[in-house]
Amino acid sequence: MLVRSFAEREAKSIHKRTILGWLWSLLHPLTTVAVYSLVFGVIYRASPPATANGKAETFALYVFSGLVVWNVLTGVVNGSMRWMREVSDLRKKIYFPTETALLGGAAATLLQSALEAGVLIIIMAALTNVSWTLIFLPVSLVLTAVFGLGIGFAAAILNARYRDIQHLVGIVLSVSFFLVPIVYTPEIVPEQAYGLPVRRLIEVNPLNAVVQIARDAVYSLETPAVGDLASACGWAAASFTLGLMYFRRRSMIISEEP
Amino acid sequence: MSNDAPKPAEEIDASPDDWAVAVEGVSKRFRVELDRPSSLKEAVLRFGRRRVNELLVLNEVSLSIDKGSFFGLIGHNGSGKSTLLRLMAGIHRPTSGKIATRGRLSALLELGAGFHPDLTGRENVFLNGAMLGLSRREMAAAMDAIVDFSGVGVQIDAPVKIYSSGMYARLGFAVAVNVDPEILLVDEVIAVGDEEFQHRCLRHMEKLRAAGTTIVLVSHDTAMVRRLCDYAGWLDDGRLRALGDPDTVVEQYLAHVADRDPSPPDHVD
Repeated sequence: MLVRSFAEREAKSIHKRTILGWLWSLLHPLTTVAVYSLVFGVIYRASPPATANGKAETFALYVFSGLVVWNVLTGVVNGSMRWMREVSDLRKKIYFPTETALLGGAAATLLQSALEAGVLIIIMAALTNVSWTLIFLPVSLVLTAVFGLGIGFAAAILNARYRDIQHLVGIVLSVSFFLVPIVYTPEIVPEQAYGLPVRRLIEVNPLNAVVQIARDAVYSLETPAVGDLASACGWAAASFTLGLMYFRRRSMIISEEP
Repeated sequence: MSNDAPKPAEEIDASPDDWAVAVEGVSKRFRVELDRPSSLKEAVLRFGRRRVNELLVLNEVSLSIDKGSFFGLIGHNGSGKSTLLRLMAGIHRPTSGKIATRGRLSALLELGAGFHPDLTGRENVFLNGAMLGLSRREMAAAMDAIVDFSGVGVQIDAPVKIYSSGMYARLGFAVAVNVDPEILLVDEVIAVGDEEFQHRCLRHMEKLRAAGTTIVLVSHDTAMVRRLCDYAGWLDDGRLRALGDPDTVVEQYLAHVADRDPSPPDHVD
């Protein structure tokens, strides 16, 4: 109930005072897709694997199918710190379980992500590249949000005290973007570089599993690997549980922070 | 592990007394860091030589408020009255001691408590209701009464940031009293309204009391405490100095004020 109120509030407030409103939610990711496709697809001539029906070898769609997942992660992690700041004044005047604000925000982020996913699916349908495997796309997005919330819970608490955290998290996220196979395929990554097992590191990355599930679901139309599903669930459960435990132990501080 | 939810009442329910709020040996210490580091860099640079002031705001306070009674809390500014009310509302956790409440609690601690400036009055009413644990349907049912009581009229659908301070306070009060609270905590807020609104608030509080609501009121208006309250408590510098019959407690308090400062007591709040 309270979660729903916070979700509605977030969904409404994002596009307040804009003319294009929800269109911005789509223009932004679509522009990003266009830019990455131009740089990596056209300039660097990266060749993506073929889609299931073999028709589309469009790098843009390969990037898009990974980016919907990534946007959920950054939306939830960065959002958590903001949602926490936004409710801190409220929380000084009235008691409510503070985690509801973050859960509501994450729900709003997922709603926005559903729009992006919808556009992706429409494009894929126009190319007749659809199958029942689509049902794994929401699975991937939800698991990403749950995983992101765990990190968001911890970041929100730390950020309540030291505002450096939001900058630090921003940097970590932009570096991590390139550790996940979104603008490249895992296959082109060298096994070893600078004495590090680079490809292995990318494969065990918690985000790799959710990106792979999304790709399998909408791009290659394969049933996601059980290993990826298990890994994604495991990471999401561990992150969420630890994050929430830490959050609940420390969240009383926000009513005492100046 | 205790999370931040208010403790279930059963925990302190040792005596069969019919209490609504129980406070047992509660102390609250705030850490006030003088030029507290607000960035990691400062925290690292200043590690080990932080200047921390511990402020003991409440010192071993114990009291029990009977169900259905009207309790008044008086004392100087900074004596810990508002902190005690916030502890009852679950906003802060006591440093030591136990505090428990029984029944749905509604608190009005500040002007427009719990309003989000960007949302409309109506949206805020729903948000507040959700925080108090009411369903959307229950809130929708109470909406007309709330709009009516607050007198904000059609502005209920305008963002609350454009409200005047009077409208803000009236809507806040209207929500707090119309959600059918079993315990109502009020911190001096009615003082901001005009005469007519104050009268309406007082009348409404009396109506709530008649219906069995437990009310805790923090006030500097000793005359009002005498007139309305069944019991009163006097907090002085974090300690509970007197507890009991409002007339006696107010007299003790006023005698103390007169002792401390020769200027007329109505001047010292």
